[in-house]
This record gives sequence, structure tokens and C-alpha cells, in this order.
Amino acid sequence: MIYVIDHKDSFTHNVVHQLSLFDNVECDNFGDIDKSKLNKASTIVFSPGPGSPKNYPLTSKIYKKFKGKKRILGVCLGFQQILFSEGAEIVQQNKIYHGFQSEVLVNKSSKLFKVGSKFKVGRYHSLKLKEPFKAENFDITMRCVISGAAMSFENNIDKIYGFQFHPESFLTVNGKLLIKKILSA
Amino acid sequence: MNKKNYLDIINNSKKPFIIYKKDKGFDLFTDFSNKIILNNQNIRKFLKRKYKLKKKYKKTDLLIGFFGYELLNNLIGIKIPRQKNINFPKGIFYKPEKKINLKENLIYNFKSTQKIDSNFKINIDQKSYTKIFDKFKKKIKSGETYQIKICTKYKNKSQIDPLDFFCRLTKTNLAPESFIIKDKNYSIISCSPENLINKKGSHISTKPIAGTLRKTKKINKRKALNFFRKNLKETKEHNMIVDMERNDLSRICIPGSVKLKKEKSVEEYKDLYHYVSLISGKLRKKVENIDIVKAMMPGGSVIGCPKISTLNLLNNQEKENRNIYTGSFGYLKFNGDMRFNIIIRSILNYKNISEISVASGVVIDSNAKHEFNENFIKAKALIDLYK
Repeated sequence: MIYVIDHKDSFTHNVVHQLSLFDNVECDNFGDIDKSKLNKASTIVFSPGPGSPKNYPLTSKIYKKFKGKKRILGVCLGFQQILFSEGAEIVQQNKIYHGFQSEVLVNKSSKLFKVGSKFKVGRYHSLKLKEPFKAENFDITMRCVISGAAMSFENNIDKIYGFQFHPESFLTVNGKLLIKKILSA
Repeated sequence: MNKKNYLDIINNSKKPFIIYKKDKGFDLFTDFSNKIILNNQNIRKFLKRKYKLKKKYKKTDLLIGFFGYELLNNLIGIKIPRQKNINFPKGIFYKPEKKINLKENLIYNFKSTQKIDSNFKINIDQKSYTKIFDKFKKKIKSGETYQIKICTKYKNKSQIDPLDFFCRLTKTNLAPESFIIKDKNYSIISCSPENLINKKGSHISTKPIAGTLRKTKKINKRKALNFFRKNLKETKEHNMIVDMERNDLSRICIPGSVKLKKEKSVEEYKDLYHYVSLISGKLRKKVENIDIVKAMMPGGSVIGCPKISTLNLLNNQEKENRNIYTGSFGYLKFNGDMRFNIIIRSILNYKNISEISVASGVVIDSNAKHEFNENFIKAKALIDLYK
């Protein structure tokens, strides 16, 4: 079972539907977490959402508790939430991407995706990861072709993954495949 | 039945009635046997009401009316702070006993006396609008909202004949979701172009509009499409709404069934072009009316995104109750089908005050002056009726 933690976003149920193609999915609000579902889940997903990671300390707590014990995936805010919990700084960008389609490139540190491949993704974020960023076993594996902003990370040791873009958006070309690979990693 | 002078007869009878646009022509509903005034207490019961299964339903086996904005907020757990309020009902539904087909060309030789003032007062001037605008832009930068719609209100004191106004409006602006409600103590006249829910059996669809272009002689439909496609701001705004509506349908539909049926097409109206998408899905079993209403309303395209945090930002900013504006009008059939629009481009007449609300979107690259004027353009088609 996949447990999605919703940060009251208007895209969370697109994420739920995409995940439902592969496994049973449960979804609750971040302030309304069901402990038994959390313990039962094989994968925990942090949804997109408004605001910044510092607004969601409960989600960071869950992350720290289950890191290394369950597969964890973060989308958009969820991506930032994981990195923030790993000590990263999340900062405002000069250019803001809401409803923006851009191209990303998979770099050679990726173990899951075809190195060198490029594809179009949908973005909804005003904040980004401040770099340089270093955390043990974490690699930035995709970047925006134009700005170079971090778009995905992999931690294949602990099975922790994140996308700054939205794999569930209609603007992302092969989102389903991305999710499939993560869930079978 | 389509007697030429039917509208004169119905208006002279003083009976409350509703006219709602359909594919070809209009439906007129009247002879109401029940009127349900909704509030925050009875709305749940109203939406959970079960109707007896029948083999054959009458054309009048439905409830028709509207949900106001505040009611819809309350339903999804969002409280509205104390606001200036004219105490207009939060929602009203009617059970009609008579339905009449009307042709597209409405004929009405009005005889009522009207006292019309053409001056309108706006509740937010450009200076205060710009202030709100800048505040919301900061909220976009910090990620609290991705898109937010500022509402302005135009008010006027007039004694009008609503049916005369509606008939004239359908001549200048024949919108697919237009309607009129005329009751004893209030009326609503609308040329809403936007369908929010169309449910038939287990099939449901929504047709959000995001992007408006004023018509000129130089622009045809193809050029309008080109304009929208090349305009990054309009494209981003529209993308956001498409993903949000996909999300709202996903709450109640079978996984994998939510499809973007028509992506970014242009629809032509008398004075403008709209950038429109169509999204549909197949409802999960056991989904009730209340689940559908809670998932879809208030309609996202007129609020902004993400819905919950944006509604909170709006409600804390707005000093005056929105009443019907960005609520929904439509019907619930006893066989389970429903159709609802989004109440925009509408006039509410209550206690001899006419109220027109409009809104336009703030995204990161919008401009305060432009959006303020955009609001006026949207209100103008209605304000012109008072001339």
C-alpha cells in the first residue's frame, strides 16, 4: 500500500490516481495522519502543496522516522521537504514556474533513468533547492536544460526519491513511466 | 409549447420562474411546488437526500437553483470571516411542476415600469486594487498561491424588469450557461459561459475557461488560437486550471478514467474568444451528490490555485460577501444526473440594488492596471444594459 500525505494541494489527487495504477493508495491530510496506515504502507509519498517546507514540521518528522525503513517519494513541495529535512536550504527563485513546461536532462548519477535522455515536464514551483547541496547518498539526477535547477534526486541506498516537477501533470510527457520505475526500484 | 407571447404571460402572472439555456433554445421552469432555502445547517441534508428509483421520470423531476459562495466554502470546511453582508440567502432551490421549451430567439414586449440609473459604484478603486494585487504577488513568490483572482463589485440602485434585461442580454451575448431566476423578492440575470459539472449516469465532465480575448475585426478564431498558444502567461494560467480540474475530478472518479478530452480550444462568442478545455471521467460507485459538489465547488478556474490556501487568502482579504458570485447555478435531477455552471457575468437584484461582481487573475507575470481594466471589460457587457 502507498500512503500519500496531502499538503492540501490541488494536484494531490492527480498523484493519487497515477499511483493507483500500480498499487492500492490511501491519502490523508498532513494534519490527519493515520498511524496504522503509515506503519502498514510500503511507500510513503509527500504530496505537492503551497508554502515552504518549514510550514510542515510534522511531515519532516515522518520523513526522519521512516527514512531507510520504507520507500519514500516527494513531489514538488514533497521533494523540497525531503531535502530540507536533510539540511538543505530552500530559497525563492528569480523566475517563477507555475504551469510551466520545460525540458529536463537525466545526468550520469542516475541509476534509475536513462542517462542523457531529455523530456518535457510540468512545473509548479516558486521555490528551489539552494546549491551546492550535499547529503550522504543523495544525488541530483535531473536538471532543467535551460536554468540548470535541480529537478530530481535519487538516494538508491535508502530508496528515497523526489521530483521538483510534477510527474502527474498533463504537461509531463512520460510521468507514468517515471512513477513505475520508482515503485519497482 | 412556444407561444409567441409566453414570456409576457409568465411575467404578467407574477409567478416566479427560471429560464436556463440548453443546446438549442431555453428551458423555462415554473409552477414551483417547493422552495428550499439553504443554509450552513441544512445543506448537507439537502445534498444527501435520496430519491426513489423510478422506471420513468418526469421532465420536472428535478430541483433547480443555486449555491452561493459562502455555502460552498462552508461545505469544504472553510470559514469566512465577518464581512459586510446584505443578508441575501446562501442558496435557494425550487421544485418545478411545469417545464416549457423556448426557442433561441426570446420575444418579450415588456410593459413593466423601470427606474434605471446608469451610474455604477465600484467597491475597490484602482489604487486599493493595486495594493491587494501587490500583496498577492508576494504570496505567489513565497509559494502560498500559484494563481489568485481578485474580485471587484459594481453596484447601482435601480428598479429593473429582469426579464427585459435577460432578453436583451441573450441578444448581445448568448452564453451557453446563461440563466435567469425571477422570484418575488430578488432576481438573478446571468450570461455565464462556463459549465462546471455535467453529469449523466456515471459520466461526468467539466469545461474550464481560462483565457479571454476581446474580439476585433482583425481577429478570427484561428488567429485567436494562435494568440493564446503564443502567449506564455495565458498558457500557464490555463495549464494550471487544467491540472486542478483533473485533480478535482480524480477525487470522485475511477483511477485512470480522467481524460483531457479537448485540450486548449477556442470558443467564439459575440464579443470575445475564450480559451477552453474539456475534462471528463467516470464516477466511482457509491459517489453521492454531496461528494461531487464538495470535490468540484467552488469552481477552481474562478478562484485560483491551489484551491484551499487560495480561498483562505481571498476570504481574509475581501470585506464584502460574494453572495452568488463564483457559486453555482443548475439542477439536480431525481435520476441522479446534474448540470451546474459557475455564476460569473451575473447581476443580482435584491432590495432594488443591482450588484455585478467580476474577477481577474493574478499570476506572477500579470500587471495590476491590465487586470483592473480586464475586470471592467468583463462587467461592461452587463453595465451596458443599464443604458
